[in-house]
Amino acid sequence: MRKLIAAALVSAAVALVAGTAVAAGPSVTITSPTAGQRISAHRNPYIAVAGAASFAAPAGQTTRFYLRRNGCGTSNDDPHLSVTSGSDAGDGCGLVLTSVVGAGGTVDQGASVDYPSSDGMPLTLDASRTVTGTIDLESFGITDPVAAGAGVVTVSVDMEALYQGNGVQIGSDSQSVLVTPTQTSYPVTFAIQPNGALDRADLSGIDLRVHVEGPYAFSGYIGNSGKSWVDVPSWSASFAQSVQVSLDDPSFTNPVPARLDGTSWSVAIPTPALGSHTVYARATQGFGTGAAASQSFTVTK
Amino acid sequence: MTKRILLLCVAAAALLLAAGTTASAGTTLHQPIYMPDASHVGDPALQPPPVCCVPVAPPVAGEPAPVNMAYFGGHVQVTPKIYLVFWGWGEPGAFDHTTPGMPTYDPDGAAARMTAFIKAMGGTKWAGVSTQYYETVNGQNVYIQNPSNVFGGVWYDNTDPIHDNLSGLELAQEAQRAVAHFGVTDLANSQFVIAQPQKYNEAGFNSGAGYCAWHDYTQPTTYPGVQPGISFTNMPYVLNMGSSCGENSVNSGYYAGRLDGFTIVLGHEVEETITDPGAEDVVNGQNLGGWYDYSGYENGDKCAWVGYTEGLASPSTVPGGLNNITGNDGKQYPVQSLWSNDSAGGAGYCAGAGDDVPVTG
Repeated sequence: MRKLIAAALVSAAVALVAGTAVAAGPSVTITSPTAGQRISAHRNPYIAVAGAASFAAPAGQTTRFYLRRNGCGTSNDDPHLSVTSGSDAGDGCGLVLTSVVGAGGTVDQGASVDYPSSDGMPLTLDASRTVTGTIDLESFGITDPVAAGAGVVTVSVDMEALYQGNGVQIGSDSQSVLVTPTQTSYPVTFAIQPNGALDRADLSGIDLRVHVEGPYAFSGYIGNSGKSWVDVPSWSASFAQSVQVSLDDPSFTNPVPARLDGTSWSVAIPTPALGSHTVYARATQGFGTGAAASQSFTVTK
Repeated sequence: MTKRILLLCVAAAALLLAAGTTASAGTTLHQPIYMPDASHVGDPALQPPPVCCVPVAPPVAGEPAPVNMAYFGGHVQVTPKIYLVFWGWGEPGAFDHTTPGMPTYDPDGAAARMTAFIKAMGGTKWAGVSTQYYETVNGQNVYIQNPSNVFGGVWYDNTDPIHDNLSGLELAQEAQRAVAHFGVTDLANSQFVIAQPQKYNEAGFNSGAGYCAWHDYTQPTTYPGVQPGISFTNMPYVLNMGSSCGENSVNSGYYAGRLDGFTIVLGHEVEETITDPGAEDVVNGQNLGGWYDYSGYENGDKCAWVGYTEGLASPSTVPGGLNNITGNDGKQYPVQSLWSNDSAGGAGYCAGAGDDVPVTG
């Protein structure tokens, strides 16, 4: 039975990862000036530089991140999110079971555990849809399926993004589950309505902070190995598109932004000194930059 | 009453100053002024040499070190200029990771954060704590100023090869190269932060000696071959030490607090250098130090890690605790407070981080 479930999870993972296929990079062509064009400086104080650009079309998708852990109580714990699933050495690792408050009191299992993304980035967030996920809460089994845990356990999740170099909260949720001695695994589902200010934002990273609290009853362990995940609504490509122009400098040290109009772009630059020149153009989309196009021309009197 | 306390403090400072000068006459004292990490605050090996012969216990972790500071006769940085040197950040092997949307030479945004902080600290109430301290020139007290711009410049030095386990001498040599790079002539008011990338750091920091950073002052006896009179900071990549050097010590979010330690530690060092650029050096009986107490603790040392409980409670709930300040760019920067002789009715306390004790000077 467990093997069947595992196989199904792997299949689901493949489908979701396939949906996040890397989009083709942006590209650009230059139609003005034309190759070898001679431009009179006297008649043209400015040169019209124009062309066409192509960008990947953003399509709605969902990116699934699995909660993974390489160890439990070792220097190699490394809790993290990954778009790929697999067997985790830290599967079922418990949180800190030390802060029991009085007889029959609750255990704040601590120290929350952060799961920062290790791959799947950058990600263009679709904040119009809900982040959903499942935390597999596990109870200590005496003799499977008989467990020692009993009582209401609360699972809190807090999601944060790395956006433009700063930490920005995406949102949070808290769910409670009744743990009984007859069950060892509790898939706790959660839903987060993302921070609207991050809609269509290109994120450099995300972090899921998980916090478990409840009666000290041998419960509060988190299942990994594909049993816990978070689905993040996203776009297949960034909405941030631009075309940059550079005169005689293929390294684009001081790029000039062009005006984009659909698939066309244009910009007027001051006519340079007499002689041969090369104009370069390149398109950017999100954090990606396409190959530069170039066109040579000559400025005459 | 306040006047009496002030008079007593002045008298005590004068006595201590005299005692310190006598005790050190004819000797050359030197060591960098360390900033212990949060778990090594009381480590005897990291304490400054006491000015006087009175044995004093190390400070208690998480609490201010009492007793006001005194002036020891050296210069201060009246109109400070802070120069940032990111040595080797763009050299091969400087980092073991990249981050989408971030430069390869600064994948965590640490260099950008430190640069923004230095640009934004000028004119803040936090930096203004130091304006109560002065140097005496020809019998006149010249007070430290708090201009809106203390940023001297930034240099990404990817030309001079860097390596791991740097020595203090190599850092001093890099500081001298920075003096030449920036064309600095006013060394008295200038300081140089030698910031190191993730994989190439100073040897003592790497060894787990227990400090996050230190600052020092070049003298021929301690940094042979290096131009004398350069105030510089050894600023390792403190994120390597995690929460011990401030990660998430003020801001709890994984990303929001990841860089907390950089501005806390950097702020500690640059403000200590402003008030004590001579780093307590005593050369041939002449005290080059500015302001510190009789135990050798500077304005940053006395308030390091106040209120910090490794995440158990917010440090800003403790007077003088670590906290965010608003820079002159309107953005938030986590810092530690700084010792203010004027606070608490002249008794002195940690101030400037927005969580001062009710009575401030």
